[in-house]
Amino acid sequence: MRRVRYIDLSAQFREEQAELMPRIEQVLASGVVIGGPEIDALETELAAYCGVAHAVALNSGSDALALGMTVAGVKPGDEVITPPNSFVASTSSITRIGAVPVFADVRDDELLDPAAVEASITPRTVAIMPVHLRGAVCDMDALWRIARRHNLLIIEDAAQAMGTSYRGSRTGTLGTVGCFSAHPLKNFNAAGDAGFLTTGSREAAERARRLRNSGLKDRDTVVEWGVISRMDALQAAILRLRLRRLDGVIARRRANTATYRELLADLPLWLPHEPPDEFHTYHNFVVQCDTRDALQSALAESGIEAFVHYARPIHWQPAAKELGYREGQFPVTERLSRRILSLPIHQFLSAEDLHYVGSGIRRFFTERS
Amino acid sequence: MKVPYAYLAHQFADSERIFQRVRELTETGDYTLGRPVQEFESMLAVRLGIVHAIGVGSGTDGLKLALKAAGVGPGDEVVTAANTFIATIGAINDLGARPVLVDCDDSFCLDPDKLEDVLTSRTKAIVPVHLTGNMADMPRIMAIAGAHGLPVIEDACQALMSSLDGRFAGCWGLAGVFSLHPLKFINIWGDGGVIVTNDGRIGSDLRLLRNHGLADRDTVVTLGYNSRLDSLQAVVAAHVFQTADEIVRQRNQNAKFYDTELSGLDGIRVPPRRSHVTHTFVTYQLFARDRQRLLEHCLANGVDCKVHYPVPVYLQPALRCLGYEAGRFPVADRHARTVITLPVHEYLTEEQLAYTVEVIRRFYAQGAHDASCPLH
Repeated sequence: MRRVRYIDLSAQFREEQAELMPRIEQVLASGVVIGGPEIDALETELAAYCGVAHAVALNSGSDALALGMTVAGVKPGDEVITPPNSFVASTSSITRIGAVPVFADVRDDELLDPAAVEASITPRTVAIMPVHLRGAVCDMDALWRIARRHNLLIIEDAAQAMGTSYRGSRTGTLGTVGCFSAHPLKNFNAAGDAGFLTTGSREAAERARRLRNSGLKDRDTVVEWGVISRMDALQAAILRLRLRRLDGVIARRRANTATYRELLADLPLWLPHEPPDEFHTYHNFVVQCDTRDALQSALAESGIEAFVHYARPIHWQPAAKELGYREGQFPVTERLSRRILSLPIHQFLSAEDLHYVGSGIRRFFTERS
Repeated sequence: MKVPYAYLAHQFADSERIFQRVRELTETGDYTLGRPVQEFESMLAVRLGIVHAIGVGSGTDGLKLALKAAGVGPGDEVVTAANTFIATIGAINDLGARPVLVDCDDSFCLDPDKLEDVLTSRTKAIVPVHLTGNMADMPRIMAIAGAHGLPVIEDACQALMSSLDGRFAGCWGLAGVFSLHPLKFINIWGDGGVIVTNDGRIGSDLRLLRNHGLADRDTVVTLGYNSRLDSLQAVVAAHVFQTADEIVRQRNQNAKFYDTELSGLDGIRVPPRRSHVTHTFVTYQLFARDRQRLLEHCLANGVDCKVHYPVPVYLQPALRCLGYEAGRFPVADRHARTVITLPVHEYLTEEQLAYTVEVIRRFYAQGAHDASCPLH
C-alpha cells in the first residue's frame, strides 16, 4: 500500500543536504553560535522579504507573540481579542505577559470575524490579535477600521503565514507587529525551535533585541528585565538558506492545492477559498465535511495521514477554565472543530501521491452514497 | 603568545563524529522533543543520580519554569544572591515575583549567615546560585529553608558536575537548573538548559510547562510556554557530556596550576578552596589589586581575561525599583572591584598557562599597579 505522509522533513534534508551541511560547519568553525553575523544577516533578509523596516530573530513563535505584544505596548491587565480556534500559543502568550485573552469567533473560513471582534471590545481592550491560520490572511482592512475607531493595536499572529500577502503587502507588515514561527513543521522551518517578529518601529525593534537577551543594553548594563529568547546562529544559517528557497516551497504547495481543487471539485467538501487579492501559502490545506471522523479513518486505512488542527477549541481546554467561557459561546469555531481535516500538502508530494489522496477521498464518498 | 578565552572553534574543530550524528538526526526529522532529548535527559539523570531531567530552551527559562512549578507567582518574594548573573533576577521578575537579595561570600555564592535576616512571610522560595562552578553551602541553606518550610530551587547554571560531599549541584533542592550555553561547562551550539528534580509532580508539571501545557496533542491542561531543548542541541549535549569527567579533571588541573603559581604573589588573592567541594571552574576568578589596570595589561599582552561582573546585579538600572542603594552588599561590591577571570578551559596548553602566570607576575613586579587599591 502506498503511504502518504503528512510531512516529510527527511526529504527536505536530502534535497538541501549539499548546501546545508557546509553552512552548519561554517557556523561552528566561526565559534559564534549565539548572535553574530548569521543573525544580523537573517534579520536584514527577513525584513527585506516581508517588506518591513525591522525583523528581530527569537527563539520561537510563542516568544515572538509575547515579546511582540510587550514591545507594541500591551501591559498586564489589558485585554487582547483573539480567536479560540488557533494553536494554544496564541492564547498562552497573552496570559504569559499578564494580559487577558478575550475570544471572538471566526467566519466559516476559520479566520477572525471582524463583526465578532467589534462586539467583544470593552474599555480595557488594547489589541486585536488576528491569526493568519493555515497560511491564509485575515480581513485586515475591516480589522484596521475597527482598530482605528477604538484606538487598538494589531498583533499579527503570522506563525503559519510567512510569505502570505494581502492586497500586495506581506504578512508582518499588516499589523503593529508581526509574529512568526519557524518551527520545523512550518513552511519556512528551522531544525528546532525558532521564531521572529517584524515591526516598522525602530524603537520597538531595539527593545525586542534587548528583551531577548536578558534586557542587556551592552555586556554590563541591564536597563529593564528581559528573558532569554535568542535564535541559535545555527538555525539562522539554516533559515537563510531556506529563505532563498521559500518562494519555491510555496509555489509547490500552491500547485498541489490546484491539483486537489481539480480532483475534489464535485465532492461534498468545503475547500479553502482564496480571494483574488490574497495570496495563500498553504501551511495546511484544510477541507471541511460533515463526516470528518469517518473520512479521516478511511484515509488512515489507505495509508494517508490527515490531521485535525485543532480538535479541541482553546476555550474548551482544561487550561482555559479560568477564563470562564462555556460551550456554545463560539458556535462557528465549535462547528468547525468537528468538520475540519488537514490533507497532506507538503512540497515533496508527487502527482501520484496527490491522485492517491484524491481517489481515496472520492472512494469514501462513493461508498457512502 | 595569545591565550584566548573562547575555545568553541577549537572544541568542534574535529567534528566529523558529531556531524555524523547531526546528519542522522536531520534524516529522521525528529526535531522537537524527540528521542535525542529523551536520551540526553536520561543520560544526565543517571549520571547525577536524580530521577527527572527535563530539557528546556535555556537556563533562564529553566529557572522561570522551576519557580513557577514550585508555586511562585506575582507578588511573591524570592531570595537570591546579590552577585548573580542578571538572568536569575530576570527569571524571578518574569513571573511577577520580587527578587530579594543576600550578599555573597568569597565562594562567590550566597552567604548563609545573612540568609535568615531577609526571610519574610511573603518569601516563597530560595534560589542559591552556584556561581563560577563553585557550590553554595547547601547543607546550611537546606537546613534554613527546611526550618522555614521554603522550597529551594538551585541556580546551578554554572555548576553542572560540581559537587559538595559527593552530592551534585542541582540535586539538593526541590529542583536544580543547568545552562548548556556555549560558554558553560557542557556546551551546545546555541541556547539550552536542563532542570532536574526528584519530585514526580514537579517533573510532570515541568514537562507540561515547557511544551505549551499540552498533555497530549489536543489537550491543554495549563497555559504554558514554548521552551524546549532542541533535539539537535540534545545530540550535541550528549556528545559533549561523554567527556564531562575529562573536562572536570583538566580544568581542575589548570586551576590548581594558577592557584599554586599565583597564591604567593603580592597583589593577588586566591579565593578559598574547600576540600569537600568539587569545583568545575566554568570560570576561574582571582581577586586582584588594581584589577582594571591588570585587565588592560593582560589584554595588551594577549591574555584574554574578563570580568564577571563589573557591575553587581543589584546596582543595575533595571533593579532600581527595588530600592537597593550602593554599598548595601559590601562583598558583592568588593568582588565587582577586584575580581578578574582568567582563561581556564581545557584546550589551553601548558605554555599558555605558564605565559598567563608570567604576564600577571610581570605586572606586579613592574610596579605598574596602584598599590593603594584595596584587595579585601
